[in-house]
Amino acid sequence: MVKGIGASAGIGLGTALLVTEQPVTYTPHTPEDPAAEQQRFDAAFEAFCTRTQSMAENMDQRSDTAQGDILRGHILMLQDPFMQQQIADSIRDGSCAEAALEAACDMFITVFSASDDELTRQRAADVRDIKTRMLKILLHIEDMDLSQLPVDTVLIADELTPSMTAGMQAEHVSGIVTQKGGKTSHSAILARALGIPAVLGVSDALQQAANGDLIGVDGGSGFVYFRPDGQQQVKLTQQRQVYLQRLHRLEQYRGKTTVTADGRQIELVANIGNPKDLEQVLANDAEGIGLFRTEFLFMDRDSMPSQEEQFSAYKQVAAAMRGKPVIIRTLDVGGDKDIPYLGMQREENPFLGYRAVRYCLQHPQDYEAQLRALVRAAAYGDIRIMVPLVTGLQELRQVKEMVRRLEQDCARQDIPHGEHVPVGVMIETPAACMIADLLAKEADFFSIGTNDLTQYILAADRGNPQVEYLYSVYHPAVLRAIQHVIACAKQQNIPVGMCGESAADLALAPLLISFGLDEYSVTPRSVLEVRANLAQWTQGEADAVAAHAMALDTETAVQAYLQDCVKA
Amino acid sequence: MVSKKVTVVNAQGFHMRPAGVFAGEMGKFQSDVTIMFGGRPVNAKSLMNIIAACIKCGAEIEIVCDGPDEQAALDKAVEMVESGLGE
Repeated sequence: MVKGIGASAGIGLGTALLVTEQPVTYTPHTPEDPAAEQQRFDAAFEAFCTRTQSMAENMDQRSDTAQGDILRGHILMLQDPFMQQQIADSIRDGSCAEAALEAACDMFITVFSASDDELTRQRAADVRDIKTRMLKILLHIEDMDLSQLPVDTVLIADELTPSMTAGMQAEHVSGIVTQKGGKTSHSAILARALGIPAVLGVSDALQQAANGDLIGVDGGSGFVYFRPDGQQQVKLTQQRQVYLQRLHRLEQYRGKTTVTADGRQIELVANIGNPKDLEQVLANDAEGIGLFRTEFLFMDRDSMPSQEEQFSAYKQVAAAMRGKPVIIRTLDVGGDKDIPYLGMQREENPFLGYRAVRYCLQHPQDYEAQLRALVRAAAYGDIRIMVPLVTGLQELRQVKEMVRRLEQDCARQDIPHGEHVPVGVMIETPAACMIADLLAKEADFFSIGTNDLTQYILAADRGNPQVEYLYSVYHPAVLRAIQHVIACAKQQNIPVGMCGESAADLALAPLLISFGLDEYSVTPRSVLEVRANLAQWTQGEADAVAAHAMALDTETAVQAYLQDCVKA
Repeated sequence: MVSKKVTVVNAQGFHMRPAGVFAGEMGKFQSDVTIMFGGRPVNAKSLMNIIAACIKCGAEIEIVCDGPDEQAALDKAVEMVESGLGE
């Protein structure tokens, strides 16, 4: 058993196929006839375009248009008039086609690799792939054929490139193990897109495995089992079965709306902490963003991010979601989140102290920069502003007033902005629960933050192991609070969501359905599972479970009962 | 020579696909087309140079066209950027 980087979750089990390549080498020389050499290059380029185009079409047929687009991009990259000119100049000056191509490609590989930007760095892998494929055509080297694979093959490679995988018979690939690559490499993205378990970065995988070996791949934990023994085989086989069944069940919910068994529509959205998480949001088919934590913008730096910097991050998320709702929480500093340059004092009780909206309202200049960035970004999507740690109406009123004033400012200065950007309350304090009826009259929406709400209602620090046993959302006090908050929202006809971990809790779902929760915001990877679960429940069934659970008197009894009610 | 300042509005900025479409369209014009970004000129007909420039959403750029069909090239370029590069 060897540990690598788990890049695509799931269990694979099958027969090893070592994907090795002939070395792509040549001896640079000076051709006698540069014009003929240019023709040789042009012919290879034409062959490259034809092959790449057919690889792209192959990807489209597999409904992997993202990969198809990448390959079409390769044609565009090599067609680039600047590249072509560089190559033509080198050939005219006496280079052979191979060396001319390599020099032009290497220049961009260097530039792209040096970029601060992750996406630009990834393009270096594309140029490397283009170079290798072109060199193979020029040198008449044929790729290993992966279009006819035995069932349950585990591919072992140094690194998988788009050209290797383009014609690959993906449905027969049970797992992927590579020596190189990280979570954002081509191999990782491809494996996730095709739903193939993959472990990358296993540096001696090609030495450890021989063709025909049995290999187990656990893409979640990152373990690779070379020639597992009898006991391990039985376990892996079982895990593989469970994985395949789950995959099959959840896939049926992709692209579907989220509805209960009797057709009540529910909004199923995702929690994110960074625009980088968007890839996961879209890949998992979430219907919007229910909680975008903005702290990442403020952390790991020496000073406040500018309004422009914030604007560009908010806008990026809003635009990427194309009109779907995006709830952005304003700065939630303090408590367990320290941002050194804000110069906040150490406190006896940080969770009961100077944090979140309390800090922000005392620093109106900094808070206005964030709110203004949000108001401006609202011109590019359905942005909604969420205020954390509210305990009184006054806080909500102050934030709303600021937002309206900033909208007017933008209008006066002719700056694109959102009109009447919704301002909602993150319900996470007992005070907010108790006055939920009052807040609901003035808030545009509620989102229940169960992580903090649970610890505040139970007066139990969720980070303290000695009282951790008290921390449970199944406590009748917490459940009654949730029920009350949802009822208050319903009374005033404002949408109410939940963005704590409990929103993805399968055991809690019947209660939340019964109470009438409108929106569930969960980590991207839980989206399909929650959608599948909600589809199992009718309102009547959920009401019956809720009536019984809410009549139980202890946390233990409630939890045991709800766990029993979970639908497989 | 004609020029105009525009803001990049599409979420991905000038990445692979939008940049490829843009460079391809610009290649149809005889004029030289240059993107001024962060004080540096970028050949707008070259996808590779555009990617290397790493122009993100929200960036302020200036498009400069010089040649016989410069106004048509500029109009097309501005229209493409402002409409989100087909994203």
